[in-house]
Amino acid sequence: MILSSILILLAGRLTDLNDQLLLGINSLAGRSWLFDSIVAFFQDNDLAKAGVIGCCFLAAWYGGKTKDGTDKRRKILIATLVAAVCVITTTKVLSRTIFLPRPEIQSQKIYRLEGNQLVEMKRIPVRIPLDETSQKDYRALLSGTVESNDLGSFPSDHAGFFLAISLGILLASRRLGLVALGWTLFVILAGKLIGGHHTPLDIAAGGAVAIAELSVIQYFARNRFSGWFDKLTGLSLRYSALSSAIIFAVIFEVSSTLTHIRAFLGLLAAMRRHVFLGMG
Amino acid sequence: MKQISIAIILCSATLLTSCKLQKEGLVVMTDDSYKASIVAANKDGIGSPDGLLVRGGRFYLADEGSKSVEMWSKTDGLKILADSNHGFQSPEDLVIDAEGNIFFTDDDVGGLWELDNRGTTRLLAGKDKGLISTEGIALAPDGSILVGDGEQHKVFRVTRDGAVTEFLGKEKGITKPESMVFDDQGNLYIADNQDNVLYLIDLKREIHKLVDRQDSFSPETIYYSKGALYISDSRNGKLYVYRPNEELRVIAAFGGQLKDVQGVTVDDLGNIYVSVQNDLKRKVGTIIEISKDQTAIAKR
Repeated sequence: MILSSILILLAGRLTDLNDQLLLGINSLAGRSWLFDSIVAFFQDNDLAKAGVIGCCFLAAWYGGKTKDGTDKRRKILIATLVAAVCVITTTKVLSRTIFLPRPEIQSQKIYRLEGNQLVEMKRIPVRIPLDETSQKDYRALLSGTVESNDLGSFPSDHAGFFLAISLGILLASRRLGLVALGWTLFVILAGKLIGGHHTPLDIAAGGAVAIAELSVIQYFARNRFSGWFDKLTGLSLRYSALSSAIIFAVIFEVSSTLTHIRAFLGLLAAMRRHVFLGMG
Repeated sequence: MKQISIAIILCSATLLTSCKLQKEGLVVMTDDSYKASIVAANKDGIGSPDGLLVRGGRFYLADEGSKSVEMWSKTDGLKILADSNHGFQSPEDLVIDAEGNIFFTDDDVGGLWELDNRGTTRLLAGKDKGLISTEGIALAPDGSILVGDGEQHKVFRVTRDGAVTEFLGKEKGITKPESMVFDDQGNLYIADNQDNVLYLIDLKREIHKLVDRQDSFSPETIYYSKGALYISDSRNGKLYVYRPNEELRVIAAFGGQLKDVQGVTVDDLGNIYVSVQNDLKRKVGTIIEISKDQTAIAKR
């Protein structure tokens, strides 16, 4: 009884802190068109957003000074890619299971289904950025357009994915990793907070998933599955032209935040519905 | 390698199948002056209703999930008025005349069905008279019933003795007359949720397109009350209100398991009710009331 009361109290405090932090950072938005447009540019433009992370990854991939150094780096980076796929899968599954609309959606009057009742949710008075995309999205929201992707903001898949890759680069190359991590934190994720797309808690949870899964996979890459990763690294050196082509495709996809992979999975899902379920 | 392949397949399968994990539901009030609450759900005995009407505190449901026509009220609970043993399969939409006779359509077995005020159910006009897949239904001022057919792209007039004539032919271009209603002047509104058009057929039988293929607009059910047309949109999960010479306005948006809004009706006090098919296969449904929020109005 006492423990549950303490937990409820702690959860309440954490939620308040989360809201205050969000509103504090979000207070930068909606004041200057130029500032909001710059922030939005780095959110919407894949090259500006994730291109830097991709460049750091490539530099780390080719930047080994000795054969052993290159081997070690590539092993870490291959494990990082595996971890990134696992992280995006986990965060996607969690965000589709845990119902928590984005803060910008929660700025509206919302009723949430709880059992057999509709309960009004606490409103978060986020400021809407003045850039064209944000204003267009806000007008769409006011006309009732709510994307299903906007209903599950916890945890942040962007935070999980880019933090996993940046931390992986950091393990391979300290200098490049710091650049990637700095870009992820101060450009990609700060933009998410300023725009009211995620709360600090969403981002912290995404980061926690990234750190946990990256640690586990790096551990397995060094110990239990070390042989497999050594083999892959060896292959990447032996067939350098082919491995360069593959790594280019992978980094291209990372830089475009997996949009093409998602489109391909969407096609698979549509095919499954069409062929197996006989729909549409 | 085998283990990696299995892991990749499992990850892909999780990503693909996770698309349906979200079971929560929400209602976003785009008009702050309204509030939302649940009137009835499965615990009250209802299945997964499509057509919905409210008269004197009683709800009449064309329950597509339970394959029955039902009446529900807070005081009396649920009463099944007719079920599939009478020969219908998928009750779609319904109207009630002044004498309390209920008429309903069925898009699976077709026809126009009558449930009279003594409780007798009969097929008033069936497939043999050309009603193949009946969708929208409207009570005409002259007492006849208009029925829309989605497969033949026509609207038929059916008299009380079951005689069927063509009211609007295929050449009029209405692909799927999903829902129909007359206003107090005798004009007929038709919702076509295949072409996503809202039509008005005036007293001279001239056709006007009031809303034509607008973004995020697919009219499912329309209901006329006190100068306003209320429109549900199951594809986009929205509830609209349309008033002549005004822009189409969204009152509420529905998401998650509440997205599939089907029927819409309004009571004498102006409260709006929508039926939601949370999960048609599992016969899960909800009736939601959207009413004026006096607190929000006072705050304004």
